[in-house]
Amino acid sequence: MPMTLSEKIIARAANRKTVSAGDIVVANADKLYIKDLRFSKKEDAKGLYGVLLEVLESMGKQNVWDGQKIVVNLDEQPPRTDRRSEGQDRARDFAREQRAILYGGEDGGIGHNVMVEHGHVLPGEFIVGGDSHTCTYGALGAFATGIGFTETVGVLATGQIWLKVPTAIRFDLTGTPGPCVVGKDIVLWVAGKIGYEGAINRTLEYAGPGVKEISIESRLTMCNMAVEMIAVNAIIPADERTAAFVREAGGGEFTPLSSDADARYVHIHAVNLGEIEPQVAAPEYPANAHPVGEFRGVKVHQGFIGTCTNGRIEDLRMAAGILHGRNVKPGVRLIITPASFMAYRLAEKEGLLKILQDAGATVTSSECGLCVRPSLAAGEVCVSSGNRNYRGRMGPKESSVFLSNAATVAASAVAGEITDPRDFV
Amino acid sequence: MSALTVRGRIWKFGDSIDCGNIDGVMGGVDADFKNRVKPGDILIAGRFFGMGASDEHAPRSLKEAGISGIVAESISNIFLRTLINIGLPAMECAGIANAVNDGDEIEVDYLGGSVRVLRSGRLLAGDRLPDFAVQILSKGGLMPYLKSGGQFK
Repeated sequence: MPMTLSEKIIARAANRKTVSAGDIVVANADKLYIKDLRFSKKEDAKGLYGVLLEVLESMGKQNVWDGQKIVVNLDEQPPRTDRRSEGQDRARDFAREQRAILYGGEDGGIGHNVMVEHGHVLPGEFIVGGDSHTCTYGALGAFATGIGFTETVGVLATGQIWLKVPTAIRFDLTGTPGPCVVGKDIVLWVAGKIGYEGAINRTLEYAGPGVKEISIESRLTMCNMAVEMIAVNAIIPADERTAAFVREAGGGEFTPLSSDADARYVHIHAVNLGEIEPQVAAPEYPANAHPVGEFRGVKVHQGFIGTCTNGRIEDLRMAAGILHGRNVKPGVRLIITPASFMAYRLAEKEGLLKILQDAGATVTSSECGLCVRPSLAAGEVCVSSGNRNYRGRMGPKESSVFLSNAATVAASAVAGEITDPRDFV
Repeated sequence: MSALTVRGRIWKFGDSIDCGNIDGVMGGVDADFKNRVKPGDILIAGRFFGMGASDEHAPRSLKEAGISGIVAESISNIFLRTLINIGLPAMECAGIANAVNDGDEIEVDYLGGSVRVLRSGRLLAGDRLPDFAVQILSKGGLMPYLKSGGQFK
């Protein structure tokens, strides 16, 4: 029976010859990602480790299913609340006692970036993670999806998860992206075109000759925002670029997989990359996307470049390209948070951080940063390279967030209003 | 009535409510709702309920407020799974938003996948939950399910 790439990965993880959309299966996780926040007492007074130890005890076990398949990351550096500090202490206890892999400090940054940069994601793997943006890893040809706190405990205890195999839609990409058009613009354009109804609880697969024109950084952005379309996962078959990236990251051997030619999709959409302009998603939904020109002149108080969506080296290079020899408009804040210290150090080596700082941007250490804590006053507008612009996401509900690529954020911070970055190139 | 049948007064919400705005008992949509909702009430939502973050304090706030069940036009995969895993029955049911008015009393059969509107007698068919979800719900959530010897087989 023909299968999609996602179905092949699920079938392998579920020890089945084949699966098809709608099947209920039990899959064995190849990896589990957990952010430090899950270890805090934010969601449960006992904390994740406390809840886990209770479950393990009742099952007659002392340990998780396989510590070496678990990656824990400290997403917030430094921790800003005592609760978070305590959570990070518990995360360290967990990693030590359960022999899990832990990243923090100068090895760290945002967990999803750490996962791909340190070789923890291989094409063909079945990965779940205690954060909704776990779907990012589909960019390397893995099946990856986010899970909640309780389900994370379940996977820790059993190594297994039940799931309903999602129906799939495919985007056949052709052509080459134009100037200042990257993964963010492609995914916002797609979200604007198909809307939530087209993607909810489905698999999104990006395929076709256009894929080879898209950098790994941009692919990570495209798959990262699958959850913003309410999809279960997004996936891009591994190619030479993927193999080179995984090799560089220190990942192991893998067998390339791809969808069968006659695999079933509920929709196939043709996308000509050359027709996509830089996109901006207006408040309050990521799918509220339109060409940047439609928002020209909207006054901006803050620009933010960072997050697991767009804080990678490609984004920092684009921002520096715009900001070189220019200045952030007085009165506008531009905050730049490289998503990982790997990106931070590379940007430093390339001289990008100095360009950004000379232009008046504030460069911070690597973490989730302003994506997860309030920074706007009522009535203020932020243009963000992040993923979510729901009401109240970055401040009171009277503040608003527009989403774009990093070049558009930089150009808008220079002009003090939403600006087409192509005007500055 | 099965153990997975709930009956109660409904509160109706709209489309596209993300996890962040659900947090604090629908606090981002209606800050006063937490003072009006009563234990046993049922929450009705439109399309794309629970989109966005996987953080569990949002669904837990609904459970802690005593909401006995959720029915929505559509629910994000992560949010629906989390509701089931914390033992709060939830179901997708196309047409529910137009079939009920705020304050109506309904009966939801999460096992059979149906909603009965008591005022009109109208019966709507929802999406039946997978067997695993039913088993987890019948134990009160994933943690009690695993603690009582439940497995994924």
